[in-house]
Amino acid sequence: MVSEETRVRVDVEALRRGGKGEDELGEPVFQLRDLEASYSGKTAVRGVTMDIPRNRITALIGPSGCGKSTLIRCLNRMNDLIPGAKVEGTALYHSQDLYDPAVDPVEVRRHIGMVFQKPNPFPKSIHENIAFGLRVNKMTDELGHRVERALRAAALWDEVKRDLKQNALALSGGQQQRLCIARAIAVEPDTILMDEPCSALDPIATARIEDLMGELKDRYSIVIVTHNMQQAARVSDRTAFLTAEADEAGHRSGLLVEYDRTDVIFTNPEDKRTEDYVTGRFG
Amino acid sequence: MARIHFHEELEQLELDILGMGELCERAVGRAVGALIEHDDAEAEGVIAGDDEIDEKYMSVETRTLQVMALQTPVAGDLRLISVILHTDLHLERIGDMAVNIAKVYRSVHDLPSSQMILEHIQEMSDVVRPMIRTAMEAFRRRDLNLCLRLQEMDDPVDRLNLGMYKEVAALAEDPSLLNWGLRMILVARQLERVGDHSVDIAEQVGFLLTGEFREFTDASHPVNIGPDVG
Amino acid sequence: MNAVAVAGKAASSIATGKRAERSLRAMVFTLLLLLCMLVGFVVLTTLLVDVLQKGIGHLNREFLTNLDSRIASRAGIYPALLGSLWLMGLTAAISFPLGIGAAVYLEEFAPRNRFTAFLEVNIANLAAVPSIIYGLLGLAVFVRAMEMGRSILAGAMTLTLLILPVVIVASREALRAVPDYIRHGAYAVGATQWQTVWRQTLPAALPGTMTGMILGLSRAIGETAPLITLGALTYVNFAPTGPLDRFTAMPIQIFNWVSRPQSEYQQVAAAGIILLLAVLLTMNAVAIFLRNRYERKW
Repeated sequence: MVSEETRVRVDVEALRRGGKGEDELGEPVFQLRDLEASYSGKTAVRGVTMDIPRNRITALIGPSGCGKSTLIRCLNRMNDLIPGAKVEGTALYHSQDLYDPAVDPVEVRRHIGMVFQKPNPFPKSIHENIAFGLRVNKMTDELGHRVERALRAAALWDEVKRDLKQNALALSGGQQQRLCIARAIAVEPDTILMDEPCSALDPIATARIEDLMGELKDRYSIVIVTHNMQQAARVSDRTAFLTAEADEAGHRSGLLVEYDRTDVIFTNPEDKRTEDYVTGRFG
Repeated sequence: MARIHFHEELEQLELDILGMGELCERAVGRAVGALIEHDDAEAEGVIAGDDEIDEKYMSVETRTLQVMALQTPVAGDLRLISVILHTDLHLERIGDMAVNIAKVYRSVHDLPSSQMILEHIQEMSDVVRPMIRTAMEAFRRRDLNLCLRLQEMDDPVDRLNLGMYKEVAALAEDPSLLNWGLRMILVARQLERVGDHSVDIAEQVGFLLTGEFREFTDASHPVNIGPDVG
Repeated sequence: MNAVAVAGKAASSIATGKRAERSLRAMVFTLLLLLCMLVGFVVLTTLLVDVLQKGIGHLNREFLTNLDSRIASRAGIYPALLGSLWLMGLTAAISFPLGIGAAVYLEEFAPRNRFTAFLEVNIANLAAVPSIIYGLLGLAVFVRAMEMGRSILAGAMTLTLLILPVVIVASREALRAVPDYIRHGAYAVGATQWQTVWRQTLPAALPGTMTGMILGLSRAIGETAPLITLGALTYVNFAPTGPLDRFTAMPIQIFNWVSRPQSEYQQVAAAGIILLLAVLLTMNAVAIFLRNRYERKW
């Protein structure tokens, strides 16, 4: 496309920061260096070096098999639940090593919440759904207020305030997902991870959750995995593109290709693989 | 490869733009030729031929908007769409300039003419028409170096345009010749603007290739841009 | 060919008349299946009708509250009824926590290795062991070694062992049916494994567990051989008052009556059978009700 002399010099430092010269970002929430995750010896994703900024929305995009879900699960140690899962490299959360032996994964998950692809409220009342997290984390003072605050922050309060005792499964898909967001928010994390949060929802519910994400990023840092590129383009500030590629030994695994400001990724990406993917020439 | 329909549509739009470029370049040539050769029929032909250019312009514009709405192009495709839209407009304007030249000729075809000034105009045309061709070729070949050449090619056009004033001023003793001469300044102005549009097209192609928009010739800040641009 | 002709051709090509032929075949086949069902049904109904005929006359309040008697008309099922209820109560109380505990451990906490797989297979096998083996085991361990004597407690412990495999398997199925995303949702808000199991997984699995429990008890209530081996009495003239009392149970009492030479006792036995069936059907109905009411379609 562009000859070597006219190409902009790639600034590795800027690449890691995910953008050219954005100094107002402050300390990143996550600092990943050569992160590699594998299951029973089989590498799922490798070569992840990036800083995830605070109070921004960072999107992970890429084709299936590129390891984006694995990557996001490494950030709150949910990967630990899979037998044979191993993480190598460095993952710092507010400059602390997430995988230090002294770190309690249960505590990690309180600070780094997660919302899943299929809305998964507990088969209990709306109130109990939120109260559960509060109780297990001993945050039971002013329980009612905390529940209300979480529901308000998730833009669900007005719809359910009439009857908090109704079963959560009676809510619509979009409402259930917002309930799951409220559930995550209630335990006062500083980061929310979302693994394809809208893929099971209709476009209107999706739009509401995207709006909600925009509101939430004032108080939380958000990382979202999405296979919907338009969504990544709409909501995120930074986008990381991963792809599945064979390494030198011929084993196929996920790999971080490019990480930059979202507007750059979608108007003028550096790497041809990124360009091919976002323009749909992939495959 | 996925999204075949989309990519074929993009290719077609690009071909249409290239076709328009040819049409417009020929129109300019014919208009200047009509002026120089005193050919009334040719001038009429140019004016009538603008319909075709306008049709192509509307077609490209409509289909481009459609592609944007339906296919949500991003990255390189998006820049290509942007270039196509801008170039579409520039070429249509070049077509209009050719028509203006033909109309000026029509209004003065009875008047006496100065051979020297006609040669001057021919010289301008001989510089400006390759500019259109080069810009279109830069687009077709995705060649950044060709883009940069447009900037060099534009210098003589400015000089020639300014030179027109002096030459027409020399006709001051003969009123009808002066009258004709003043109209020729209009023609020169049209040709100079054709040159500007060609440079604009090259800037667009530069944007397509580098993702950054740089003005090659800025009246207030004349900058000598070398191969390090982008 | 114009459109109408084409349509006509298509219409005629699908009206083959095969439907009537297929209907006939289907009907014959359905009839055969009905016949199979009827065989079992008819036999069962005959038995039931016979029992009802014989026993309904003797089924009255005295029957329920009298002790056994050498006079047929005065024979009652009270001690056996109480004995069965005591047994069921204790068995439920012991097997429930044991069964669920084992199931929770195996399903949620145990590592997936060859040893646990081995355990799984054997638990399932235990359900197929003849019940008299359990009786012999109970005799040796509970009655003698643990010196419980031939008491309700020993009987209940033995029956617990008997139905434990059923309870464990049913509980495991119920736990397995709870989808992982529920557990993940709990982990994601910072719950420990124990909190997740105790407050989310287990409550969600409870209906299925209860169903397994009740089905196990339905089996236990009809068990005769192990209890006799343990030393349940065949003739009691007192009602049990505590877990360490001697006892008898309904099936044993019925067996006893049936074995007596006097023909009147056949009716008494029939009355006992009706009662036993009623209790059994009620338990099953409760199980079905619970299952339908609380079952979650994941």
